[in-house]
Amino acid sequence: MRISLNWLKQYVEINQTPEELAHSLTMLGLEVESIERLGDKYNNFFVGKVVNVQKHPKADKLTVCQVDVGEKTLQIVCGAPNIAENQIVAVGLEGAIVPKNQHDPEGKPFQLSKVSLRGTESNGMICSEYELDLGEDKDGILILKINAPIGTPLSKYLDLDDIIFEIGVTPNRPDALSHIGIAREVATIQNKTISLPVTKVIEDTAKISSKVSIKIEDPDNCPRYSARLLTDLKIKSSPEWLKQRLKSIDIRSVNNIVDITNYVMMECGHPLHAFDYDKLEQGMIVIKCAEENQPFITLDHKERKLRKDTLMICDSHKPIAIAGVMGGENSEITKDTKTILLESAYFLPRSIRKTSKHFSLVSDASQRFERGADPNGTIWAINRAAQLIQEIAGGKVLNGIIDVYPKIVEGEKVILRLSKLIEIVGITIPKEMVIEILSKLSIKVIDISRRENDDTIIVQTPTFRPDLQLEIDIIEEVARIYGYDNIPVHQASLIKFSENAPIKNQISEMKAHFIGAGMSEIITNSMQTIQTALLSSPHPVQISNPISRDMESLRTSLLPNMLEVIRENIFRGTTLVRLFEFGNIYFNNPYIAGKYLKEYQEVAMLTIGLSGSANRVNWDEKSRFYDIFDIKGEIESFFEKISLDNIKFIPYSTTNALSESDLRIEINSEYIGTIGMIRKDVLKRFGIEQDVVFADIDVDKIIKLADIKKKFMSLSKFPSVIRDIALVVHRTVQMDRIEEVIKQYGSELLRKVELFDRYTGEQIGKDNVSYAFSLEFISSDHTLTQNEVDKVFNNITKKLEQQLKAVIRQ
Amino acid sequence: MIEKIKQIEQEAQTEIATVQTLDHLELFRVKYIARKGLVPTLFDSLKTLESSIRPEMGKHLNDLRNKVQKLFDDKKEALEKNLHSEKESIDLTLPGRKRWIGTKHPITQTLDEIKRIFFKMGFEVAEGPEIEDDYHNFEALNFPPDHPARDMQDTFFVSDKILLRTHTSPVQIRVMEKQKPPVRVIMPGRVYRNEAISSRSYCLFHQVEGLYVDTRVTFSELKGTLVAFAKQFYGSNIKFRFRPSFFPFTEPSAEMDITCFLCKGSGCRVCKQTGWLEILGCGMVHPNVLKNVNYDPDKYSGYAFGMGIERIAMLMYGIDDIRILYQNDLRFLKQF
Ligand SMILES: [Zn+2]
Repeated sequence: MRISLNWLKQYVEINQTPEELAHSLTMLGLEVESIERLGDKYNNFFVGKVVNVQKHPKADKLTVCQVDVGEKTLQIVCGAPNIAENQIVAVGLEGAIVPKNQHDPEGKPFQLSKVSLRGTESNGMICSEYELDLGEDKDGILILKINAPIGTPLSKYLDLDDIIFEIGVTPNRPDALSHIGIAREVATIQNKTISLPVTKVIEDTAKISSKVSIKIEDPDNCPRYSARLLTDLKIKSSPEWLKQRLKSIDIRSVNNIVDITNYVMMECGHPLHAFDYDKLEQGMIVIKCAEENQPFITLDHKERKLRKDTLMICDSHKPIAIAGVMGGENSEITKDTKTILLESAYFLPRSIRKTSKHFSLVSDASQRFERGADPNGTIWAINRAAQLIQEIAGGKVLNGIIDVYPKIVEGEKVILRLSKLIEIVGITIPKEMVIEILSKLSIKVIDISRRENDDTIIVQTPTFRPDLQLEIDIIEEVARIYGYDNIPVHQASLIKFSENAPIKNQISEMKAHFIGAGMSEIITNSMQTIQTALLSSPHPVQISNPISRDMESLRTSLLPNMLEVIRENIFRGTTLVRLFEFGNIYFNNPYIAGKYLKEYQEVAMLTIGLSGSANRVNWDEKSRFYDIFDIKGEIESFFEKISLDNIKFIPYSTTNALSESDLRIEINSEYIGTIGMIRKDVLKRFGIEQDVVFADIDVDKIIKLADIKKKFMSLSKFPSVIRDIALVVHRTVQMDRIEEVIKQYGSELLRKVELFDRYTGEQIGKDNVSYAFSLEFISSDHTLTQNEVDKVFNNITKKLEQQLKAVIRQ
Repeated sequence: MIEKIKQIEQEAQTEIATVQTLDHLELFRVKYIARKGLVPTLFDSLKTLESSIRPEMGKHLNDLRNKVQKLFDDKKEALEKNLHSEKESIDLTLPGRKRWIGTKHPITQTLDEIKRIFFKMGFEVAEGPEIEDDYHNFEALNFPPDHPARDMQDTFFVSDKILLRTHTSPVQIRVMEKQKPPVRVIMPGRVYRNEAISSRSYCLFHQVEGLYVDTRVTFSELKGTLVAFAKQFYGSNIKFRFRPSFFPFTEPSAEMDITCFLCKGSGCRVCKQTGWLEILGCGMVHPNVLKNVNYDPDKYSGYAFGMGIERIAMLMYGIDDIRILYQNDLRFLKQF
């Protein structure tokens, strides 16, 4: 909401500087987001007099003018056809920023400097109305009044010494959406009173009741409707002061009638609407809901399909306005309008909001009605407008107001307990002070208990403050005016700590592991295209009102984002990437119960992506690219770090939308995740020209399985025995099968099996593979003897020979 | 005998000076020290001497042996050292073999720091879903249907009553539904806003919500906790202010500002010339919210607060475009 300081000063005395005032308002909860000095726009613009005009020696369309700007006379080259000697004009000097450039299609501002135009020096610019952003006229320079004092700063001449506060009004404060509303707040904290303009309407003898009848058919949605009739009007453009006032708060001037209704709304906050009376059938106004699908053209010339919950203003035959939102084209004020019916009503906020939302139609009026106008403010507003119309547009105001107000709306009666106030705020605010604050806010104290042990005050709220309904609302008002900064900072000396021992933040620890392993954490968008989402699941969550098509679904895998990040990094020249992301993926599977909502599932995932050289470029190491064993190794180390064992990597036989050479990771036969290599065709689609290996792991599952309560296990006091075993098997025998046999027959003495060599070559037969393992044996209660180890070791070799047809090499 | 000793000593000294290699030194050892060398041979001849002078000669011989041995040892050490440095004459200005360096995303770093401080003040962590129902995201938090306050948070809908949470506040409701007071939790998480993407806003961001409900929780206490947080996070010499604001689920509501740490309060582009930076919103839990989770508002009171992690990270690191946080450009990530 834009608030003009000069306008504000009509209602309340202000002695503070603009900055001080802005601070006061901010500390009242009316945050001043910016302070704009309107005059600054015309810095370096002055009133000048054209004393001499000569033809430009080299250009027909240009003139060379001598312009008196007060202290000196300057030579200025001008291209305007209407230039003449003795004109009083607006002159921009060197350094001035011309608000609008006539030669720019968007009219962007530009700064003036000394220039030479076709060889003639020009020390400024005589401006048009358009260039000064004072109107649309581009055809010639703006000519000022002949008595305008030469040398006066233009801002002063135009009476632009105003300051505009941009105030962020929170949705609970409709009362603050007007100058009087803000003046009321200023008066409250400065112990001043506000002075409202006295509304004096000179009424004609003819009575409105003979010309107009009003019927509210829907009193729930329209509790009050007040109207006046004004005749013999002249519709024309508004006087300068009114245009200027509206312009200062960014409201476009339309004509005197519309401008006055807008002015009064910005003055007191109550929206008004004017109908062309002659376009109403039988002078009748009926307020009722529309018929479903009834078409209606609003003032913005758009046709809208009404609904049966759209509250409408109608005459005896047709709808003429969407109540509280926008008028209809069929009853619009035009230059030929002679008689207007002026509406000042109160509509139910919910009804207006529904309609405004449905049509995506937000107006200054709808904003105020949906937040809550003052039902008891209609009469002041209509009289204020009638008075101004009479002053500005002439005409007669018919005798009387038709005021349909079946049930008077009163302020809320609220019981305030001072004990509750203390309990919430944390300090005692004396009763007298509370009462003083309430009265400043126009909150009426209607009863104060005089009984002992009874600290209640019964108050009645003003109807312009619809946000005050409950005791807590009154407490907030008292605290707000008392000043949040006057409430002491207190921290209980005794903080209650949780009874549970803290659970370690496992995700944090996991992240630390990967960072230690030299990977960078990424955080990506959880929205993606539906096509991408469908790659990983047939049950994506779809957004019904996405920002764009590329964000119409929630992600079903972290992999596509990972690939995009890899692509972007390669594109920007970083070809070595080691990345991980912890994040959620989302499904809408009606057959699986979600943790929180039926049918919606959120799964915490970890995705790792490695691409580029597997070792840092080094002068004495040969570089190679990542392959599946790099990512497998990363995952094995990670599981070792979080003490997970019994892990199995099982080659997939099925193909996957994104990857190949996949290995399923299982722990105790439960699926934990996948590692693999991104398919070549997928890489191509993503625009990546180097291999990418990845891991995709269900974090919730590993957290469940990981041993979170780390317990100390006593270290064996006895030495271990290492035995190496080398064997040759047929190439169809997989390594994990050998390891399985070794472990199976290793007895409880075998602690560790480690593959340290693998060899293929002619010497051992081309269909064979040789493996070498190192086996570690240990006992927790005695030193192992050679015999004991031999027994186990021999059993292992025997079983390898028997079961895998292995040839043991000595 | 004495002459012989002196002569050998001199010879040894002269000869050792000419030794340049370990091989040569070995010859020296064989000649003087080895079993059949000159010195042991002299020792052997001791027994041919008269027993009266034997001890004295023995002493001289010992001296000789020690001296020659020392000549040998010193030379050996010197030669080996030389040899060693010859081997290492490789160019030491060549770079070392570096390991990979990992990085923690600045959003995580900021969140971790916030969490650390609140843990110390006795808060636990709670979580809730990102796909929420209208009841938890709005209604239970005192946003009535068709209320303009809903416009404060542009919402992504999944269906009529299912949406992407617009704030972490619904977790408050979920925690209180499950647990009786006292409740003292922080609730970090991802939230969504249906706003045009620009340098100042993204379609999603992260928040940390805080909630404390118990008997006798006051606004004064709320200020105390948040000031304690801000002083630990931004330094104890910051200035702060609380100004009235509006959130449907808290009343009284406030926004907390601290002095702009870029311009120290004199006004700059980042603080929009005000000298203040808004860091969080807070307030006393609205009695309607307490009623919605079956807490008696006459028995319990509480406070809640919430802050945007991206905003804090951006202020802290001087990042002026929120989108860069989601681009994951390694040149950016490696700066943190
Ligand atoms: Zn600043």
